[in-house]
Amino acid sequence: MFKKVLIANRGEIALRINRACHELGVATVAIFSDADRQSLHVRHADEAFCVGPGPVMRSYLNIPNIISAALISGCDAIHPGYGFLAENARFAEIAADHGLTFIGPKPAVINAMGDKATAKRLMREAGVPTTPGSDIVASVDEARAVSEKIGYPVLLKATAGGGGKGMRAVTGPQELPTAFATAQAEAEASFKDGRMYVEKLMPNPRHIEVQVLADEHGGVVHLGERDCSVQKPSHQKLIEEAPAPVLDPAIRARLHAIATTATRAVAYTNAGTLEFLVSGSDVYFMEMNTRIQVEHPVTELIYGVDLVKEQIRIAAGEALGFSQDDLHPHGHAIEVRVNAEDPQNNFAPAAGTLSTVVFPGGPGIRVDTHIYGGAIVPPFYDSMLAKIVAVGRTRESAILRMERALGETRIEGVKTTVDFCRELMNEPEFRAGGIGVGWLPAILARRAAAV
Amino acid sequence: MTEDVIAARARALAGALTEAGFARLRVRDGDIEFELRRAVQPGATIPAPVPPVATDAEKPSARRDDLVASDVVGIVRLTRPVVVEGLDLDGDRELAYVETLGIRNPVRSRGAGRITAVFVTEGQPVEYGQPLFAIER
Repeated sequence: MFKKVLIANRGEIALRINRACHELGVATVAIFSDADRQSLHVRHADEAFCVGPGPVMRSYLNIPNIISAALISGCDAIHPGYGFLAENARFAEIAADHGLTFIGPKPAVINAMGDKATAKRLMREAGVPTTPGSDIVASVDEARAVSEKIGYPVLLKATAGGGGKGMRAVTGPQELPTAFATAQAEAEASFKDGRMYVEKLMPNPRHIEVQVLADEHGGVVHLGERDCSVQKPSHQKLIEEAPAPVLDPAIRARLHAIATTATRAVAYTNAGTLEFLVSGSDVYFMEMNTRIQVEHPVTELIYGVDLVKEQIRIAAGEALGFSQDDLHPHGHAIEVRVNAEDPQNNFAPAAGTLSTVVFPGGPGIRVDTHIYGGAIVPPFYDSMLAKIVAVGRTRESAILRMERALGETRIEGVKTTVDFCRELMNEPEFRAGGIGVGWLPAILARRAAAV
Repeated sequence: MTEDVIAARARALAGALTEAGFARLRVRDGDIEFELRRAVQPGATIPAPVPPVATDAEKPSARRDDLVASDVVGIVRLTRPVVVEGLDLDGDRELAYVETLGIRNPVRSRGAGRITAVFVTEGQPVEYGQPLFAIER
């Protein structure tokens, strides 16, 4: 096991990793920016280094300063969390060059899965069903030819993309030139990579993903699926749950089987997530995320497995301590993302000082957060303030518990998604389960029209 | 401590802050910790964070001084001849470098002045923004 781990992140995930390390008896080193000097993750860690000013390029993405902090504090491993450098293969390589274990998959796998077009090709070769579409298209004309072949509507996607950036839905050929140019420009600006590909756009599919763990001795297990279909118009997830409600058991079994097959096919190690679109009885691989995900707690709560500890154990060379037969989900878990955003104004992010912070408690509630009363929300980072997770014996009990928990939550100083998500818990279609990714945008459009 | 007491103390400290010429002051009193910042005039240079040692009233030598801080994370290597408190600098010179992954990041005095404090020793690890020297201009 490692002696000391540098946590190359901030916010709730930095605290989450810190907790896992301390429970494993591993010392921790936090990094922080000037803007995060008073942040909770700095106080929880055994040591902390300021690595730069507020803007991420100079702090949380400052590879030399982060590696240097790990070396001078005597760390033997780095946990990247999610976002920032989590899927940066170059960072993983540099860490290895300096004798530091990167807690995640091998750089070659990060690279292959990070390039969405390559990932799709590899999965297709492994017999995994992928959405009909193209490899990289060099021009608008090429994109048009592919789109006509697979039929509109289509989705233009940046191969380096993520978080909804560099992505455009196109309903007909007349929209293609503008959509191509703007999506490409966005991808260039966000990822310094403007290569695009085309995918068939499914009508309102469900977003269902499968959690896998793979050790370095050939052990591969899945930890079931999560339904992340409640997404903002920007395609960012807002509410996630496990297991996926009203899912045909045959489709569920198929998703699990595909996930473990694909994990083996790409020689994947550590924790990973395979994202699928499910439309009727059709299942399509979308992408594989080579990191711990924001919504991992819903899986942890129903499987009783600490995914972050497993990541650390796997990276330290340990074999999985359980097999597929040992893993059985119990109950139902739902997560709500509490973001500093205004749901009445296109989820515009907010920054400021939090005057009041009161989180819920009681049976079946887990809160992962880095905020406290008086904390400052800097303008530089992701707007997520907390994750509130409710677990119950049934989906209905988890929903009722979440509704109760959101009612107990008081955050003042910035606008948040708390009340909005509480309202969503009462939407009949959400209660029924099985909604698609178009559901929330449709609700928002309906509300906007009603005003 | 009630909010009134904190406010009264903060007001008293704010006066001292302006007098001493510090841009920032962090105070810890039991469970209470607060930071005071002086509004910066347009065009003025913003000094780096003041280390706890320099906020100490026993260190009047650090007053009205320029702080030279590290802008990287690494190990301090003092440039020879090593500067000491009280040394007068005729002009700009390299005081040290901070080694980050084998790269030397020079730390310069950025002009003449008298060294009033040396906050680091040879081989010490430093973080971003950590004061290394104070110079009276």
